[in-house]
Amino acid sequence: MHPLTLVFRRLVCLLALCWLAACAQPFDPDAQLTIAAPTRAAVKGVPLIQQEAFYCGPTSIAMVMQWAGADITQEDVAALAFSPGAGGTYLADMIGSSRRLGQLAVEINDFDQLLAEVTAGHPVIVFQNLGLGVLPVWHYGVVTGYDFEKDEVYLNSGQLDQMVMAFAVFERTWRRGDYWGLVVLPPDQLPATTSETDVLSAAAALEQVEQYDAAVTLYETGAAMWPDNWLWQFGLGNARYALGDLRGARAALRRARALDPSIPEVRANLAFVESELAG
Amino acid sequence: MSILSLSKKGIAIALSAQLVLATQAITMAQAEMLGTDQAINKYTALANRNALMDELQRAEIQAEIVALGIDPAEAEARLAALSDAEIATMLTQMENDSAGADVVGTLFTIFVILLVTDLLCLTRFFNFTRCIR
Repeated sequence: MHPLTLVFRRLVCLLALCWLAACAQPFDPDAQLTIAAPTRAAVKGVPLIQQEAFYCGPTSIAMVMQWAGADITQEDVAALAFSPGAGGTYLADMIGSSRRLGQLAVEINDFDQLLAEVTAGHPVIVFQNLGLGVLPVWHYGVVTGYDFEKDEVYLNSGQLDQMVMAFAVFERTWRRGDYWGLVVLPPDQLPATTSETDVLSAAAALEQVEQYDAAVTLYETGAAMWPDNWLWQFGLGNARYALGDLRGARAALRRARALDPSIPEVRANLAFVESELAG
Repeated sequence: MSILSLSKKGIAIALSAQLVLATQAITMAQAEMLGTDQAINKYTALANRNALMDELQRAEIQAEIVALGIDPAEAEARLAALSDAEIATMLTQMENDSAGADVVGTLFTIFVILLVTDLLCLTRFFNFTRCIR
């Protein structure tokens, strides 16, 4: 890319932010939140990575995965997520690439969830329009903290410096991205705000992309959290079966049957595994 | 004797046919493991539906239904007519309503919305509506 283009891009971005700051109304936590979020929260240890051109999406995922201890670069993620023709990364590919890398990925879509996740110690990837509705500048960043008293939201935003935004400015840029957020966690951790069904579906999605080890871990994590729901044991049985662990599959499916003896799917899969073990 | 042997033969045929069918059924069921994803969708939708039906049985909701001039049995039929996705949306709304009293409101929002969309000819949910063209 021509150096001037880069300068121009930065300028556009800066101008957009100035404009947003100028006409933004103060953020009112009482109007935007239905939960009692603490005054401030911060997630420690999220690395700052300088993004390559257009790689804000892959960089965001790389930062969150490195925070969780993975050895991964933005180029690794880009190979699974980036669309060169579009000059960016689609929302669906943000989710899909995280799963292909063995992560639990679930969407969030409001301030309650964003602040509750950050308070719980989880960085959240957010989709922002740093420009205007008619002149969009789409961007992914990682929210790592906030402070109501100072009126600041902290983001790792593809630059080596932490980005600090006033709440109102952040709210506007995030609203233009339809409040799309993504929690990406290793499969032995659970999001703080998403429903059991969302996590179950995310686990089944790991099976579909053949990340069976990650699926097994997530089913075990979910089963510990929601021990009464047979679906976790059912999924665990199926994922272990896919890994060739027939005895493990049988144990899980038996637990599923004990939790609810009336489910035909459980009995069919248990019979299937038992017949393979016998034959 | 012949009647007896005929009936024995009949039983034998019936039994063997049943055996073949049963074996086939098992073979079909065992062609592959049943997927987790389908089970999640199926049973979550079922649980959602049951949860809403339970809400509908609450005394205060029943009173509201009667006050609206709807037979409680008809209200159940209307709930049953909603798709899985619509039921999931209703439940999400109800979960987001922090106060318990709002559950009544949310349950009836759907009736009012469908009443209006009926009148606009977008839906045909209620039998008594005549849409305005």
